Amino acid sequence: MSGYLESQLIILCLSIVYAYGIFLPAASGQLNLGAAGFITLGAYASAWFNASTGAELPIWLSIPLAMIFTGVIAFAISFPILRTRGVYMVLATFAFAEVVSGVAINLEFVGGAAGFPVDDHADVTVIVPVTIAVILFSFYFMSTRLGLSLRSIHDDESVATLFGVNVRTSKVVAFTVGAMLMSLGGSLYGHHYNYIEAQTFNVLLSIYILLYVLMGGTQTAWGPLIGATFFAVVPETLREIAESAGLKWLAEGRFILFGVFIVLLMVFRPEGVMTRTLQDRLGGGLFRRKKPVADEMTGGS
Amino acid sequence: MLIIQQLVNGLMLGGVYVMVAVAFTLIIGMLNFLNFTIPALFMFAAVLMYATMMGHLPFGNDLILSIFGTEYRWVAGIIVALVVIALVSLVIERFTYRYMKAKYGDATEHALPLVSSLGFLIIFEHLVVSTWGSDPLTATSPFGQGTFSVDTIIFSVPQIVSLVLSLVVVVMLSVMLKATKLGRALRAIAERPDTAILMGVEVSRIVPVVYVITGLLCAVSGILFTINYATVDAYVGDTVATVAIAGMVLGGLGNVWGAIIGGLFIGMLEVMSIYIVGADFAKLPIWGLLLVLLVFKPTGLFGHTLIGKGKF
Amino acid sequence: MTDDLLEISGMHKSFGGLKVIDDVSFNVRRSSRTALIGPNGAGKTTVFNLLTGVYPIDAGTIAVDGQDITDVPPQDRVTVGMSRSFQNIRLMPHLSTVENVMLGQHARARKLGNLLFPLGMLPRNKWRRAAEEALDKAGVGTYPGEIVSNLPYGVQKRIEVVRAMVSDPKLLLLDEPAAGLNKTETNQLQELLERVSDQGVTILVVEHDMQFVRDLCDYIVVLNFGRKIFEGTPDEVHKDPAVLEAYLGTDEDTAEAANAS
Repeated sequence: MSGYLESQLIILCLSIVYAYGIFLPAASGQLNLGAAGFITLGAYASAWFNASTGAELPIWLSIPLAMIFTGVIAFAISFPILRTRGVYMVLATFAFAEVVSGVAINLEFVGGAAGFPVDDHADVTVIVPVTIAVILFSFYFMSTRLGLSLRSIHDDESVATLFGVNVRTSKVVAFTVGAMLMSLGGSLYGHHYNYIEAQTFNVLLSIYILLYVLMGGTQTAWGPLIGATFFAVVPETLREIAESAGLKWLAEGRFILFGVFIVLLMVFRPEGVMTRTLQDRLGGGLFRRKKPVADEMTGGS
Repeated sequence: MLIIQQLVNGLMLGGVYVMVAVAFTLIIGMLNFLNFTIPALFMFAAVLMYATMMGHLPFGNDLILSIFGTEYRWVAGIIVALVVIALVSLVIERFTYRYMKAKYGDATEHALPLVSSLGFLIIFEHLVVSTWGSDPLTATSPFGQGTFSVDTIIFSVPQIVSLVLSLVVVVMLSVMLKATKLGRALRAIAERPDTAILMGVEVSRIVPVVYVITGLLCAVSGILFTINYATVDAYVGDTVATVAIAGMVLGGLGNVWGAIIGGLFIGMLEVMSIYIVGADFAKLPIWGLLLVLLVFKPTGLFGHTLIGKGKF
Repeated sequence: MTDDLLEISGMHKSFGGLKVIDDVSFNVRRSSRTALIGPNGAGKTTVFNLLTGVYPIDAGTIAVDGQDITDVPPQDRVTVGMSRSFQNIRLMPHLSTVENVMLGQHARARKLGNLLFPLGMLPRNKWRRAAEEALDKAGVGTYPGEIVSNLPYGVQKRIEVVRAMVSDPKLLLLDEPAAGLNKTETNQLQELLERVSDQGVTILVVEHDMQFVRDLCDYIVVLNFGRKIFEGTPDEVHKDPAVLEAYLGTDEDTAEAANAS
């Protein structure tokens, strides 16, 4: 595989992993604009666990440890953050990411503002399988009763409660597991580029990831995959097309087209590209009808 | 005393940002979503002001030069910025105003206007970058460096004018909300969107007005920014956004006066933080404060007065 | 085992300054089919909301099967054997029919093993089969995978009843289950509820369709302005002057039914 394609693949994989991290809470109706915060935690934690100036652990230990570390923090802050709602939650998660960034920049033992080199390298042979595992895990998670609870909470929290769903616990789990996935993404980033600085994981990243997820659709586990793929692939493709066709304005204007696309999608298809109904029509139809349509109106076949 | 000078600088800075905070708070209060296009409109106005004053518009430079002359191009700048932003706001409204049609109870579909506003943010930022580049753009201020001092503290005339102007604009806004028919209609929409329609408020005609008003607030702020600080770039929106959002939260979502006080306070806090702990660390106190506020006292210092229904 | 499955005593509720439930007490006998009726605004749905814990009760007690549940939180009320359907359809719009019904099973499936089992990936699992069976028995079994918001109103209404039933409740609270159904659908609903009742489930139903009430129920409690004004058998109810007064001019069905008896 050419170097260019490989680097594109890496970007795609990382985007997918981040996206699933935001998708899990989004599926239950929580909008998390703090992706950068959890990604930063994962990147720095794994880098430190791995570094010779740190814990000097091998990469297959440092990454999981970083996930656990992030998970603990996410669990702890999930309680106050899940007390906020709607726009307040968006702002709170945003503020959290800024706080993480602000702290990371000041920690000298992980490089401070100058950034931190990361020892072990993770290449395509690590990143692609891990990404596939994340995708499979997410599909599995959403297919469980826990996933069903999350989707019920998204649709109608009070009714879900009345049927015995523990809303608070479900949301905490979604938030924490999502954070751990984002941490995984951050660790992979650090170990691949072998250098991290807090400024890379900024507001724009949080915004983009949330956008991928909302545009792909939060109703099914296909959503983040579609969103991340689209966003990672299309701008580059547009640039390729533009350059080979000599359309300079397209190359530079591709982000503008991007923004326009987002706006139009919200006008015409606000639930995102993949909805439950569409998924059903495309392939879930296998289980849709068991027998020929009886005439429901007259009550018998 | 250097500290007091910093406080004064912060106050001046806050003064420019205050209107953006008010714009945010109005949209949250009336239309119930976080409008991320607002900082982009601020930035766009600032850049348009620069471009008109320095003759770097994509077209029309000669026309402006012939009408206004080099001396008064800043007047043209004001007109251009205000008009363009007003028109742009109307376009944006067409594409983001759906909050009334979104079902209650579905938080992610309610995120629609938020996502659209992010889309517009991306559009504007890249529009500016592709037209003027991403490097800093410097304009020559028409008012020079007029300053005066009280004791050892330096006040900049343009900044004081900005602060006063900001306050005047916001006072006028406040008066409008309380005393005019339009203001009453706006408050009705904020408090009970469904009954507002029944009471005869033509929501579909008023909402564009809200967009234009908030857009103009950002425009004025952007214009003042260019005049005062002379150097702008495609990313000034980001710095404003931090202060403005923080100010809005501090003052209480939907609370106009709260946004003013909050904005001024955060402006001072930002300058003090930079002075005390350096620019790199400055984010921490502000966002830490914000996080604590959001969790423990989300209604801010003054509570929300205009907050509407709905989850988002 | 007491004779009464549900005992409501001295129930009071105010919203703001407005008293919506004023000293309501009644018992529902085990395995009975009781109707809770009254003009619009009488507080019937509020009683349901208080029973299921949607709102906290201001004063009074609620007991199910002898056990005081007044302080039990809403998400645990289903485990004491209470399940309900809603006046306006409150199915999860983005879930399929069978998934909505499986939500109804949740209270019985709260063990970790159940929570982590990949329901969606192994479609022949016992929970899904049970849900499909329940739908079949109710006559709405042809649409298991269909997203509910695409289905007709009458079908959605019956799916809601099925959802309430699969939690294996002792007490089934149904809020206007026949509203908006045509004659055939209403008959099917009645048959379904009769079968459920024969299995020992106690039914408490809020309804305006007086014919349905008379055909299905053996006992009636009447509310007006948040107070209980009468309780008794269907035959006794429409002879009672207080009930007639409450309904005169507002509900034609009752007046007609009263005249027809």
